[in-house]
Amino acid sequence: MVVGLSLTSSFTEIYALDENNCLLCHDNPDLTKTTTGGEKISLYVSEEVLNTTAHRFIDCTTCHTYEPHKAATPLTKLSLAEKCGSCHKYEYKLHLQSIHGQQLVYGNPDVATCIDCHSTKGDPHSVIRVLEYSAPAYKKNVAETCAKCHGDPKLMSSYGIVEKVYESYMRSFHGKAMQLGTYEITQLDKATCTNCHGYHDIKSVHDPGSPVAGLDNLAKTCEECHPGAGVEFASGFLGHKEASPENIPMAHYTDMLFTILLTTVVSFGALVVLMATIRYASNRWRE
Amino acid sequence: MTSVTEAISRNGVAEEKVTRFDIHQIIQHALLMVSFILLVVTGVPQKFHDLSISQWWIGVWGGIEAVRSVHHFAAWVMVIVCVYHLLYLGYTTLILKRPFPIKMIPSSEDFTKFFQEMGYFLGLRKEKPKWDRFNWREKFDYWAIFWGMPVMAGSGLILMYPVLATKFLPGWIVPTALVAHSDEAMLALIWIFLVHTFFNHFTPGVFPINTSMFTGKVPKERYHREHTLEYERLFETTKEKKE
Repeated sequence: MVVGLSLTSSFTEIYALDENNCLLCHDNPDLTKTTTGGEKISLYVSEEVLNTTAHRFIDCTTCHTYEPHKAATPLTKLSLAEKCGSCHKYEYKLHLQSIHGQQLVYGNPDVATCIDCHSTKGDPHSVIRVLEYSAPAYKKNVAETCAKCHGDPKLMSSYGIVEKVYESYMRSFHGKAMQLGTYEITQLDKATCTNCHGYHDIKSVHDPGSPVAGLDNLAKTCEECHPGAGVEFASGFLGHKEASPENIPMAHYTDMLFTILLTTVVSFGALVVLMATIRYASNRWRE
Repeated sequence: MTSVTEAISRNGVAEEKVTRFDIHQIIQHALLMVSFILLVVTGVPQKFHDLSISQWWIGVWGGIEAVRSVHHFAAWVMVIVCVYHLLYLGYTTLILKRPFPIKMIPSSEDFTKFFQEMGYFLGLRKEKPKWDRFNWREKFDYWAIFWGMPVMAGSGLILMYPVLATKFLPGWIVPTALVAHSDEAMLALIWIFLVHTFFNHFTPGVFPINTSMFTGKVPKERYHREHTLEYERLFETTKEKKE
């Protein structure tokens, strides 16, 4: 009891490391600068956010160089991954092999870079650890994080990607189990986007190297969680689409058949109950 | 099925109640009811996973894992009840040599009486048709299980063991089983809670609850009203026995 009390009372607030006192100026919400192009950009860095970030003990200059005021734009969407990669070397290497990384190299700003999946607010200062419940890359939140881009029909239309991937995932066994489960890591043993598609080295589904390209690759991916699952098992996957006469016709026609049966039988039952209710009510009224 | 004649002679005609079901039938119905309710309360939130009430309800049970375990457990109970019923049916007819319960088999008379009953509900007839041991609704409920159980248990087993199922069945069987399981469940659930509950508990004379399926006994007066033909036949036989 005494130990417990002394432990709780010894808790002090944790402050981000700021060896060069950058926050003396930059913790001001009104601090802005005007770029050569005439654009006004904020230079505000919230100390409150920094205090909870994963890199709170890494000094500003590590990423922003020792002479940040001499660099025009220290970090852009295209250069960010390289900067993160100066420490996270392995992840950066994988990222460069991914469809996202390759597109970034081509200068496409649409695709995801490190902070799009690792930062709660979409800026490098609010990157938090993957195992924190609110982390966008925490397993429970992964699908939602991917859906920020992959659920956007406008953005996806130019890449020929089905925009319903998030909805169809949420409708599936995996998605339901993930949604209805708790945040406990022990309850998150269900597949989310990254389990089948990969994460740092995520490939386009049209890339033969993708874990979901072709039934053979798909079957191997299924087997990671479903031991013994073969090609036949994998062929039952609806492919993020609804069942239709072209896509697993049996499921489509079974659904139609049962919907007709359901509607007919339930309407019949409801009609009989309604008729009986009216008759019994009028019997009572006449009494 | 214990014939009512025996039951009545055992209890004495003077009794105010008539025995309609034996202990096996009471147990079968009770287990079927409990497992059905468990399957509904653990299955429906999985179907309507988007609703916040489903998410709250699954939290109450301790998460999706717990809900699925209960769903699987209740499913096995239901399968066992159905096997129990078939064994009971076989044992009583083949070994105990009791007459086959032909009264449960639908006949053309049921269709005539069904239209007569609809006529009564619509106010076209003054009297309800007179039923024998089972009315059309009881027969419908009973035989519907012979369709519903194979569909639900078959699709449920495929969903429980998808890898095993696709070892000897084509891959499309899994998504197909899911739609069949989900749709047939809605059919059963709506029918039971709408029609079965209405006619067995919420009709005049039995409201708010009909205990006959739990005690096996029905008040004599109501038996006469609801199963007139059987009642009259029973009374004649008992009269003959007395003489």
